[in-house]
Amino acid sequence: MLALVFWRLASFIPTLIVASAILFVAVNVVPGSAALSALGIHATPQALKRFEHQHGLDRPLAVQYVEWAGKALQGDFGTSFQNAVPVGPEVRKRIPVTLQLAGMAFVVAIVLAIPLGVVAGFRHQTGTDGVVTTLATLFGSTPNFWLATLLIWFFSLKMGWLPTGGYIPFGEDPAGNLERMLLPCIALGVVSSGLLIRIMRTAVIEVMSSNFIETARSKGVGDLRLVSFHVLRNALIPFFTVSAVEFGFLVGSVVIIEDVFRIPGIGSLVLVGIINRDYPVLLAAAMTVTVIVLIVNLIVDLAAQVIDPRQVRTGHGS
Amino acid sequence: MIRQLNWRRYGLVAVTLPVVALVFLAAALAPVIAPYDPFELDVLVMLQGPGENHLLGTDELGRDILSRVIHASRVSIVVGLVAVAIGATGGVLIGVLAAHFGGAVDSVLMRFMEIVFCFPAILLAVILMANLGTSVLNAMLAIGIIFIPGFARLTRAVAQTVQRQPFLEAAICLGVGPLRLVTREILPNVIGPVLVEAAVAFSYAVLLESALSFLGLGAQPPEPSWGNMINTGRGFIDQAPWISLAPGAALFITVFSFNLLGDGLRDVLDPKLHD
Repeated sequence: MLALVFWRLASFIPTLIVASAILFVAVNVVPGSAALSALGIHATPQALKRFEHQHGLDRPLAVQYVEWAGKALQGDFGTSFQNAVPVGPEVRKRIPVTLQLAGMAFVVAIVLAIPLGVVAGFRHQTGTDGVVTTLATLFGSTPNFWLATLLIWFFSLKMGWLPTGGYIPFGEDPAGNLERMLLPCIALGVVSSGLLIRIMRTAVIEVMSSNFIETARSKGVGDLRLVSFHVLRNALIPFFTVSAVEFGFLVGSVVIIEDVFRIPGIGSLVLVGIINRDYPVLLAAAMTVTVIVLIVNLIVDLAAQVIDPRQVRTGHGS
Repeated sequence: MIRQLNWRRYGLVAVTLPVVALVFLAAALAPVIAPYDPFELDVLVMLQGPGENHLLGTDELGRDILSRVIHASRVSIVVGLVAVAIGATGGVLIGVLAAHFGGAVDSVLMRFMEIVFCFPAILLAVILMANLGTSVLNAMLAIGIIFIPGFARLTRAVAQTVQRQPFLEAAICLGVGPLRLVTREILPNVIGPVLVEAAVAFSYAVLLESALSFLGLGAQPPEPSWGNMINTGRGFIDQAPWISLAPGAALFITVFSFNLLGDGLRDVLDPKLHD
């Protein structure tokens, strides 16, 4: 067991290296564009050269990567091209915002997915199953930014019940924080529940076909007790293992939702980096999002193995 | 009994295929069926609600929403098709190679694919677009690259199953070369699952393209795309909600019917799942 945990942790390091290298290459895929965008299209060739030299952009990409990664490991993400402010503190300030949004949205998704998935799986191959499965596809097919727009239109502008966006830290004003987080979480959570309902349904169907369910049934265990005691407990483990993938998608979608609701999280920082062509900012923000996703996957992997050693995950199921 | 079973198997495809066909038809015949020129400004009818002259209303520049929604379907369809083609071609190639060679080639390729798969897709697309430059062509490329790992994993899994089948052993005994083995024995078995994945990937590509356009990183105005129309409409949502509603509904219907089509294809191609 300990060896397995160690192996998982060890294999996280190359994953992190490759992932960060991919991001670094993706951001720097067009050479020279950083200087051009920082200085504008009217910059002289000399000025561009000077800028590139100043920021070490004239060196080979591999050298730049190693230097960036070395500093990033110490929490130093360089300074913004735009305003020469260190990027690290800005990123750290935004992490809790995004984590709260993603976490609460995931809760919304789970609250929808577990009951619906259980009902569909328990009534497998019936009309109820068909309705729930279609509903899951419907949720999953909704563009989250469109849903967000509709939610703002209805709940904020028409009804005036909730603010249209913005952010207040939970510590300052818990009610104000939740008020502003509700619509973004619904927009993200409902769409994510689409896949989660299906995952839960599959997990329940799997458990339902086990011998011990038959035994329980023949002993006269009622439906409600069967679901709550036998099915749910066993289905939740595979559900959470697989749903970690969806959490990754959800964190990615934060980029759009934070923009729509003007939430100052990591996602909106990615966009700030893109709009300003501020590569240190973009890299730091994108890397943070990626690391969050990777760590969540790692934790779920480890937790699943500790809770249920039968679950040896080879890949990310879908 | 048999009839009922068949309806169960083909029902979803029978219901969704016409909708999908309609979307494709609208895209293909956009200039013919659109009632107005999608770029034509008419300040006299700015922000007009749905009515007799403009079925879905007009936008802030007096352009006909219906015509723009119809024309925008072209961007979505083309991006979807090309991105899926890129993803499927790349993925099938990598998957077949990984399955065929096995060993180190397999583990290196698949490990790499798994890491790319871990990336939040939209994040990778946004970054690629920001650097490749905002254009429809680059959107196809960025989205296509994202699809490669999914197709690769699927193809590898199917190819590995096929390789364990007796008929493959028989073919090898008969002296069939590796290239012929892949094209004649493995690929035909891969096509079914890849088709199902392609339908789902297509819907996701359409969704991603509109997300990019929504963020201003995809199709650039004045060229209409569902994403940039929804974004424009956000500014007028209080006075003219139809500007966002119409393209959003078109996007939603397209994605939904493609996802259902994917489910339906799965029923048709893999009847085992239904028993």
